[in-house]
Amino acid sequence: MKIIKPRVGMFLKTLSLTMLCSASISAMADYPERPIKMIVAYGAGGGTDIAARTLAPYIEKYMGENVSIVIENKPGAGGEIGFTQLANSSPDGYTIGFVNTPNLITIPIQRKARYSLADFTPIGNVVDDPGAFSVSINSPIKSLGDLVSYANKNPGKLTYGTTGIGGDDHLAALAFEKQTNIKMKHIPFKGSADVRTAALGEHIDLANMNMSEAIADGQEGNLLILGQMGESRWSEAPNVPTFMEQGYDVVSGSMRGLAAPAGLPSDIQKRLEKALEQAVSDPEFVAKAKEQNLPLSYMNSNDFGATLQRLHDTYNAIWTAEPWIKG
Amino acid sequence: MESFTHIYDAFFIVFTIPVMISMIIGTAVGIAIGALPGLSATMGIAVLIPLTFTMEPLVALGMIAGIYNGAMYGGSIPAILLRIPGTPAGIATVFDGYPMAQQGKAKLALRISLTSSSIGSAVSALALLLLAPPLAKVALQFSPANYFWLSAFGLTSIAVLLSKNPIKGLIAACLGLLIGMVGIDTMTGAERFSFDSLDLLSGINIIVLLTGLYAIPPAIELAFSSMKNIKPIAQQNEKDDDFRWSKLIPVWFKSSIIGVIAGIIPAVGGNIAALLAWNEQRRSDPDKDKYGKGAPEGVAAAECANNADTAATLIPALTLGIPGSAVAAVILGALLVHGLLPGPQLFRENAEITYGFMITMLVTSGLMYILGRFGSRAFIHILKLPASLLAPMIISLSVLGIYALHNSFFEVWLMLCFGVLGLVMERLEIPTAPTVLAVILGPMAEESLRRSILMSDGQYDVLFEGGISWILIGLIAMTSLTPVIKKMLVRFRGSRDGATIK
Repeated sequence: MKIIKPRVGMFLKTLSLTMLCSASISAMADYPERPIKMIVAYGAGGGTDIAARTLAPYIEKYMGENVSIVIENKPGAGGEIGFTQLANSSPDGYTIGFVNTPNLITIPIQRKARYSLADFTPIGNVVDDPGAFSVSINSPIKSLGDLVSYANKNPGKLTYGTTGIGGDDHLAALAFEKQTNIKMKHIPFKGSADVRTAALGEHIDLANMNMSEAIADGQEGNLLILGQMGESRWSEAPNVPTFMEQGYDVVSGSMRGLAAPAGLPSDIQKRLEKALEQAVSDPEFVAKAKEQNLPLSYMNSNDFGATLQRLHDTYNAIWTAEPWIKG
Repeated sequence: MESFTHIYDAFFIVFTIPVMISMIIGTAVGIAIGALPGLSATMGIAVLIPLTFTMEPLVALGMIAGIYNGAMYGGSIPAILLRIPGTPAGIATVFDGYPMAQQGKAKLALRISLTSSSIGSAVSALALLLLAPPLAKVALQFSPANYFWLSAFGLTSIAVLLSKNPIKGLIAACLGLLIGMVGIDTMTGAERFSFDSLDLLSGINIIVLLTGLYAIPPAIELAFSSMKNIKPIAQQNEKDDDFRWSKLIPVWFKSSIIGVIAGIIPAVGGNIAALLAWNEQRRSDPDKDKYGKGAPEGVAAAECANNADTAATLIPALTLGIPGSAVAAVILGALLVHGLLPGPQLFRENAEITYGFMITMLVTSGLMYILGRFGSRAFIHILKLPASLLAPMIISLSVLGIYALHNSFFEVWLMLCFGVLGLVMERLEIPTAPTVLAVILGPMAEESLRRSILMSDGQYDVLFEGGISWILIGLIAMTSLTPVIKKMLVRFRGSRDGATIK
């Protein structure tokens, strides 16, 4: 037997006491009888997080009395950590989460991931932020047509910035290049802020960012948005023509919707779906979304699921033809 | 001057009771967050945002301003007293702050840190308030090549830290560069050193590394031995009234400018600002030897610069919507929650609140001084806590703080591993500061170099274009060659006075 010295003893006591105090107490019968956890696969204070925190109270409101939603941020690996955790949670309706495209779909395509699309029950889509091509206001390029003819004259010279390899911005650029038979040079950055800085400072020729990220500079006259990639024009940017209108078959964007683990009982799924639909059309929420430049685009569970599957097939085809990550 | 009328109008909405109270609470919370290892301003503000949903915008923003300013100063308290920088920006404060505490001048060091922090914050807030739109243009001027030289400039300052044993210092710096490479490579999407682990894909967080290397080893030493070098602090020499504050004025002047410029440049944070200012202070002082051994000017330079970075970081964030740091990104999130869309329209459509927020940045730098003056009497008592109480507190708080960062247990274990690494390095007398600095600067240097080469089709001359690059190259040459030239001069003059000039 070894006698613990008083100092070490006290050390252990204080340690365990502080740990105990910090341990959370979880409550323990008709759904929902305890708080619902909403996993956000991105950091606190980021775009997805703020959208989730703005939406959550409205889902609570339509789920019934005393329902509370607790947001848990699980950021990292481009969302893979959070998506994996959501996929592996039990499908009891107490864990739901935000899923973001294209990351949700491209991650399992481009690397060995611990989840697949089949591991989720889609609940509904909330936001669909169309992609866009923007240039500095001083650029000689004034339209997508100019862009194509400039790139034709200077093959491989035109630089475009994106928020990273395999993101929606990058994949849309690849699709555009393929359709128009042009070659541009991809310069990946760490986030949309860096892309915007580089475009405003004219260090890159073209900025590929989503509409919500480009709209303020577009309205301000710092950037010229050449085209938006939605199927139709976003209500907040009625003057920016779509790619389709300009004769290019590129439809791309970043979607954010709600999903639960696969195998969610259908009554629970229906309940969540209905609450989400009501929340997204609540005028108060719509007003807040407008303030935050969130392009709302509600889709029900079936449509959302079908869209995700279609996106998967598209991205898979691009990857099979030419992987965007060489290695 | 339209902006002055806006500033004048904004004063009336800042000096209301709810805003004042929220600023006081924010500043106090900020100082505490900064002082606790593992907790950072970014996290504090991120946690606060959902709580501010129902508040008036300026009440929420005043609190955020307080947290932001307070945390930057708070980081210096454990840096000085315990050699544990509370935030990454406090690392340069350790260099001279801890030696001062060891010499029994902890109280003076805390006062210098507080005064310097408050001055830095105030200068920064004034720059934000009065010069934001023109200064914002600077942020756009920086090309990838400029970023490369800037990070290279930061890396040369590591050389300064190597003076005692260059080989060991280089080992530490190379270790840092290696740790900085972990994760998905932004430029190609390739996974580097991730060992098929999901948790390593986003790289190693600097706070995890810093807390591990700096907070855990002293805690372990405290727990298992009566840490010899902390004892003398119990006998504090309180006679610091004869300290000549006036000699710090040029230090504050220079460091504030360095901090403001570093703040405006996106991706360059308070940690780099503090390091550059400390380095410049040492370079310009004829008596270089006193730095790292408890020079008051060293503490003043580092703390003034890291606080001068705070409001300046908000210049590109508010005017252009470009968040230059994680904290600025979270603050932009907070603005968005209150319906304030960052960018030039902010100053037109929401001028009152925008200027009000800037004024709270200024007011909280004053509040920080007042709260710090009262607080410093209490902080010093940390040293009187028995080691058996202090050690488990440091470890528990580190574990809590790191878990709260991303709700990840992996990172907690990683932090503890770095703790063991830190302990080993300390025993082998390998300095840990070069490691942390290399992790901050290495990836930035690598990415910006590759990005500029990619943009120029593999032509290296893009690196030598433009005034900003040449200024930075000049600065690098100056810092790295000055000691060599001086040595040569000494030799040239003969060895008779060689011993006195170094």
